[in-house]
Amino acid sequence: MLNIEGLLVHFPYDYIYPEQYSYMLELKRTLDAKGHGVLEMPSGTGKTISLLSLIVAYQKVFPLEVSKLIYCSRTVPEIEKVVEELRKLMEYYSKQTGESNNFLALALSSRKNLCIHPELMHANIVVYSYHYLLDPKIADLVSKELTKKSVVVFDEAHNIDNVCIDSMSVNISRRTLDRCQTNVETLQNTIQKIKETDATKLKMEYRRLVEGLKEANVARETDVYLSNPVLPDEILQEAVPGTIRTAEHFVGFLKRFLEYLKSRLRVHHVVQESTPQFLKDIFDKVCIDRKPLRFCAERLRSLLRTLEIADIADFSAVTLISNFATLVSTYSQGFTIIIEPFEDRTPTIANPVLHFSCMDPSIAIKPVFQRFQSVIITSGTLSPLDIYPRILDFRPVTMASFTMTLARTCLCPLIVGRGNDQVALSSKFETREDFAVIRNYGSLLQEMSAIVPDGIVAFFTSYMYMENIVAAWYEQGILENIQRNKLIFIETPDAAETSMALEKYQEACENGRGAILLSVARGKVSEGIDFVHHFGRAVIMFGVPYVYTQSRILKARLEYLRDQFQIRENDFLTFDAMRHAAQCVGRVIRGKTDYGLMIFADKRYARADKRGKLPRWIQEHISDGSLNLTVDEAVQLSKHFLRQMAQPFRQEDQLGLSLLTLEQLESEEMLKKISQIAHQT
Amino acid sequence: MDEEPERTKRWEGGYERTWEVLKEDESGSLKATVEEILFQSKRKRVTESHGQVRLGMMRHLHLVVDCSRSMEDQDLKPNRLTASLKLIETFVEEYFDQNPISQLGIITTKNKRAEKLTDLAGNPKKHIVALKKAVDTVCLGEPSLYNSLHLAIQTLKHMPGHTSREILVILSSLTTCDPANICELIKTLKSLKVRVSVIGLSAEVRVCTVLTRETGGSYHVILDESHFKELLMLHVKPPPASSSSECSLIRMGFPQHIIASLTDQEAKPSFSMSHLDSSSGADLSLGGYFCPQCHAKYTELPVECKVCGLTLVSAPHLARSFHHLFPLQAFTESPTEQLQKDRFCQACQGELKDKSIFSCPSCCSVFCVECDLFIHDSLHCCPCCIHNQSNP
Repeated sequence: MLNIEGLLVHFPYDYIYPEQYSYMLELKRTLDAKGHGVLEMPSGTGKTISLLSLIVAYQKVFPLEVSKLIYCSRTVPEIEKVVEELRKLMEYYSKQTGESNNFLALALSSRKNLCIHPELMHANIVVYSYHYLLDPKIADLVSKELTKKSVVVFDEAHNIDNVCIDSMSVNISRRTLDRCQTNVETLQNTIQKIKETDATKLKMEYRRLVEGLKEANVARETDVYLSNPVLPDEILQEAVPGTIRTAEHFVGFLKRFLEYLKSRLRVHHVVQESTPQFLKDIFDKVCIDRKPLRFCAERLRSLLRTLEIADIADFSAVTLISNFATLVSTYSQGFTIIIEPFEDRTPTIANPVLHFSCMDPSIAIKPVFQRFQSVIITSGTLSPLDIYPRILDFRPVTMASFTMTLARTCLCPLIVGRGNDQVALSSKFETREDFAVIRNYGSLLQEMSAIVPDGIVAFFTSYMYMENIVAAWYEQGILENIQRNKLIFIETPDAAETSMALEKYQEACENGRGAILLSVARGKVSEGIDFVHHFGRAVIMFGVPYVYTQSRILKARLEYLRDQFQIRENDFLTFDAMRHAAQCVGRVIRGKTDYGLMIFADKRYARADKRGKLPRWIQEHISDGSLNLTVDEAVQLSKHFLRQMAQPFRQEDQLGLSLLTLEQLESEEMLKKISQIAHQT
Repeated sequence: MDEEPERTKRWEGGYERTWEVLKEDESGSLKATVEEILFQSKRKRVTESHGQVRLGMMRHLHLVVDCSRSMEDQDLKPNRLTASLKLIETFVEEYFDQNPISQLGIITTKNKRAEKLTDLAGNPKKHIVALKKAVDTVCLGEPSLYNSLHLAIQTLKHMPGHTSREILVILSSLTTCDPANICELIKTLKSLKVRVSVIGLSAEVRVCTVLTRETGGSYHVILDESHFKELLMLHVKPPPASSSSECSLIRMGFPQHIIASLTDQEAKPSFSMSHLDSSSGADLSLGGYFCPQCHAKYTELPVECKVCGLTLVSAPHLARSFHHLFPLQAFTESPTEQLQKDRFCQACQGELKDKSIFSCPSCCSVFCVECDLFIHDSLHCCPCCIHNQSNP
């Protein structure tokens, strides 16, 4: 039982980390202020349980202020972890209070567990994936009835802007159009059939559409539903236009639209245009007005409902197209249309794709910020904190970064900027092919493989770069030398291959052979796989993982960021690169008993603009002496570090420093120390 | 700083970051240094060992020495192999000194194979000779943990149940090249009640952690040469006997040393029985130890009689093992402020500056931390108590 500024919180563990206390303090202040918050706390310090126990306690004490907790996480395993912690907390509650639990918690993980029962409205805690809240297509089904007095938590939210963008972007390839064609034909046949058997049904629908979408409008005005960005305000006040009111007309309309899209895909060079340009073109070519396009998504939904089609999944293609139609006609800003005749990788094979890409993540998340009284964005790596409110366009009341209190310094970030021959190490474009750099990278990995026990994870900036380097290493005989010390596994774009490699990698770490996993920043490994204890004793980041800057979509987004949010291209690119680098190196430290080396092998990391963007809990361990090391120096430091860390370390050693009992927590001195953990920005 | 002898020449040492040592002190208690933690555990070890436990006094220890490529590393001077062998030599001597009725054998592993350097035997000389020779071995390839353990089991499993079966691995490499799954072997070791301990020379390897945890051994990684020595010496003390080990009475012979002077006409020079199997030249000698059962002659003790199989020891040998069984009581720790008398350590006469002092429960003399450790580690008796006894 903790006392957090007057709020009694049941905490289900005997000990607490000081930073957990500090985190709860900040969280409580955010809830008190009924505002939004951005909180960064290192992984493995019990973020989830702090969040859950504080918010549950808050709910119990102020049931009228906060009635629901919506906990969003990224992947199914993460959701399961949350549920596990929640279960522990609930058990503790019923043991402490002695009464049976009247809390209802609900977890929606995958489609097979999907529940759209009205119970959702009454659950006190809902745990599900981001998409249920952010993706307008799903949010409408699952989340629209959530009450305003909810607290929304986005965990692992360092990539939330990309999730927002993805949920609003549409990619249309030739295959999509073909599938859509069959969809439309099926629709037509079904309409024909129904017309013969049950014509009144269609008439009813027609009448309803004349009435307009009044219902939805009323609902929004009375604030019952979460607004859907695909369904803009204006169209709710109008009736569905006459041109697409009858089912046949609508199908005809879809056909025309489809033909137009097909013609657009028959291009030989890249086309980039804004949404108004696109609308003008479509009006000129096939006389489709803006208005019916805007109603397209809603009209299709109504039709599918009327036709009583059970398997919506089959109609994904036509749903996609109609969503595209609505989005393209609704937003004149924040989107761009790029039609590419072929992919960058294969410039000879025609594979035209129409990218309708969202450039403004705030569009998708805006309804969430508007509707719910508190939205908490949290992750292990959110630095620099101030950029998230800017790109997501909201005003947080708290922004705080927490450090990790440690009884022993269990992470060792080193910046290796030079080889033993003083050649500057960098993955920048000009030196990418440089023989000396590749050789020095090789010798770094080789030396490390000889002194680091068990597992090493190495990250490259891209698959292409990795392929080049590994090929060069093979020719120089470096790979052979490395293999004397450890086995080598490589991540590939193929998911099955990668999971196989991962399995074998773990086996080699387990039985003492030792292994190296070569993987790619932004890949599957860098985002979702944890390398606990011996599975990752060192992580080496070869180069700065800048995103591929030649991509047209990225260029358009950068331009938009500059014009709309005054964020310079370089600032955003660096921010993006550093958050991925932090994600990669953060994979090895998954708790306070864990330890690991973090090696940044690029001299650019030493610069203040890069280093300053790393999370505070990593930054504070980078000493001035470890900024521009040679390979040899790094090896010496690592050896020393690994020996120190191998010394016996028990829980008692942590007690009172980084692990507290209730009495220790309540001492004046400790509370003073705790107040320094949170770093406000 | 001046009192500390320089371990190596400055230019021989690795990159030293002396400025960082200073930094650690001022950053307050939030960043406790590893040294402090180590010191605490050292104290603890002293206090812990003072329970009345049954110890396995008759030990069978196989020493596995890594001779792989990584032993050429020069972080110990002149290189890991030479430094380790030298330390092992002192260990062997100390081992037989404190465990006179125990046996030891040495196995080396390199190039994915394991070889016996010496068989299990109770004579330190043979081992030391072999170790001296081993300095010239060429280090190559990877070690094989599996093969070495397997080889050690082959002899250990035949040892009687009342003795301890131990393996101590000195592992320098961070990788092991095994022909089969080592987990199976760990299970076998466990079922045979073999205790495996590991001293790592470079870093913590997972498989060793598992191996030692499962078999009840200890796992340590060295910080530097002096720490290495300390860790080795931990293994001199007999481990507690497992409760399931058999109890049996052992027949032992205490042969008298018969000294024959050259002037004695009756005395005839004769060969010692222990020279039978050694290739080194047999010496004729006059006196010796004669087995009380079969009168075979030996020049050295302890030994197992070649003729009748009786264990021959001398009384001082057994007496030397005595302090393991009845160790000196732990000294009581108390804060320095409580001390009314002069603040001087009774042993080293140094001023007591540390936070806490240690006093002997029987004579109430006060000692500093260092002396407390020294008394318990080496002397095994309180100097003040002894002093009082001799001056009544």
